[in-house]
Amino acid sequence: MPDYPIYRDPPEQCRTPDAEERSLWGRTLERIADHCRARSLFVLHYCTGCGAIELPPSMTSRFDLERVGMQPMVTPRQADLLLITGYLSVKTLKRVILTYEQMQGPKYVMGFGSCTINGGMYWNSYATVKRLDQYLPVDMYIAGCMPRPEAIQQAFLQLMEKIDSGRAQNWKEYYRRYDHYLGEQQALFGEQFHTPTDVIGEARHYSLFGPETLGEHTAKLAKYDLYHPGQGAVDALEVKR
Amino acid sequence: MSKSLPTPLEGVFRRVPGVRWRQQAERHLRVELSEAENLPALLALLKGEAGYRHLSAISCVDWPDADEFELVYHLDSYTTQVLISAHIRLPAAPGRYVSVSGLYRPAGFFERDIHEMFGVQFEGALDLRPFILTEWGGPPPMRKSFDTEGYVRDHYQWVDYGPEWLAELEKRGGGIVE
Ligand code: SF4
Repeated sequence: MPDYPIYRDPPEQCRTPDAEERSLWGRTLERIADHCRARSLFVLHYCTGCGAIELPPSMTSRFDLERVGMQPMVTPRQADLLLITGYLSVKTLKRVILTYEQMQGPKYVMGFGSCTINGGMYWNSYATVKRLDQYLPVDMYIAGCMPRPEAIQQAFLQLMEKIDSGRAQNWKEYYRRYDHYLGEQQALFGEQFHTPTDVIGEARHYSLFGPETLGEHTAKLAKYDLYHPGQGAVDALEVKR
Repeated sequence: MSKSLPTPLEGVFRRVPGVRWRQQAERHLRVELSEAENLPALLALLKGEAGYRHLSAISCVDWPDADEFELVYHLDSYTTQVLISAHIRLPAAPGRYVSVSGLYRPAGFFERDIHEMFGVQFEGALDLRPFILTEWGGPPPMRKSFDTEGYVRDHYQWVDYGPEWLAELEKRGGGIVE
């Protein structure tokens, strides 16, 4: 028998936090992170429509977006906010989806101008997508054709506020309801549509796997090899015959 | 506006049967061919004898009442400096014509575009794969018979918009004009 005390259970000072406490910690950290995220948004602008012309005045000296910590970013993988500045044709939407899926979470999407809300003045055009939020989770829309820099500034401040208070969680919907979004995309691009991104794997990685992540539409992906992305990208952009 | 043709054009028009021309502006001639199959000969003569090296565009018009397509070939010459628009008409069914891409290579793109938008077949064309509408599964959308609004209703969704101020306006007999 050694003459020093043996502790069979962990000493009381080092107890293990229970699940609820853990999630409280997680949430607190997440709130702190959100607070920081809101103040450093890297913006990727997908300038498809005429509205993009209002971005230079928003960014340059008069309105100066860098004041509020926003900066243009050149690649989707390093960007936080995807700006869709106007009408999307069916063809561009495909590229937008590819771009969106390459962004890392947390990511935000802003629809810019009436065209992204309801097709705007292209409401009866066969080639223009009407509702952006049918295909991608959108966090905020700016109405107007086109919105003035004052409105853009206002929207950015509101988005920052939304992120800061933890309400900008739409990107998680894309993982939780991937089957729904994929279904809408397939309805437009055809049954065989798929992107090279392994969204389902990412949903697992982020612990965002929901009951609607998998479904009848994702079942059609089983035949594609999502681990060789190069090939997938070619397939996704393939011309429909 | 002068009515006299530049000399090389006189000779060309005399040798192609069924050519009627009208001066649209000082440097713009509208040429109509009564027989569609004479157009390649006209283009070859224009290119060879009047310096029409430049095919600016081919445009297409759908005439649903006559059941015809009208093809318009816009040509320009640095020699005569007169723009020529050559018009021909084709029956909408079967909607076939010959490609002039052997004579003017850029025609390949215009023909591909017209094939996609109007469904006209060009025999001997360089490439008739989908060009702009790569995601398209419907009928050629630029035909007059294509129902754009119906297509939109069937393929896209809308967000309903009914703010309070609009309801109030409607109560007073106003509202959005359709
Ligand atoms: S909303 Fe207006 S300004 Fe913006 S892309 Fe559409 S038509 Fe252009």
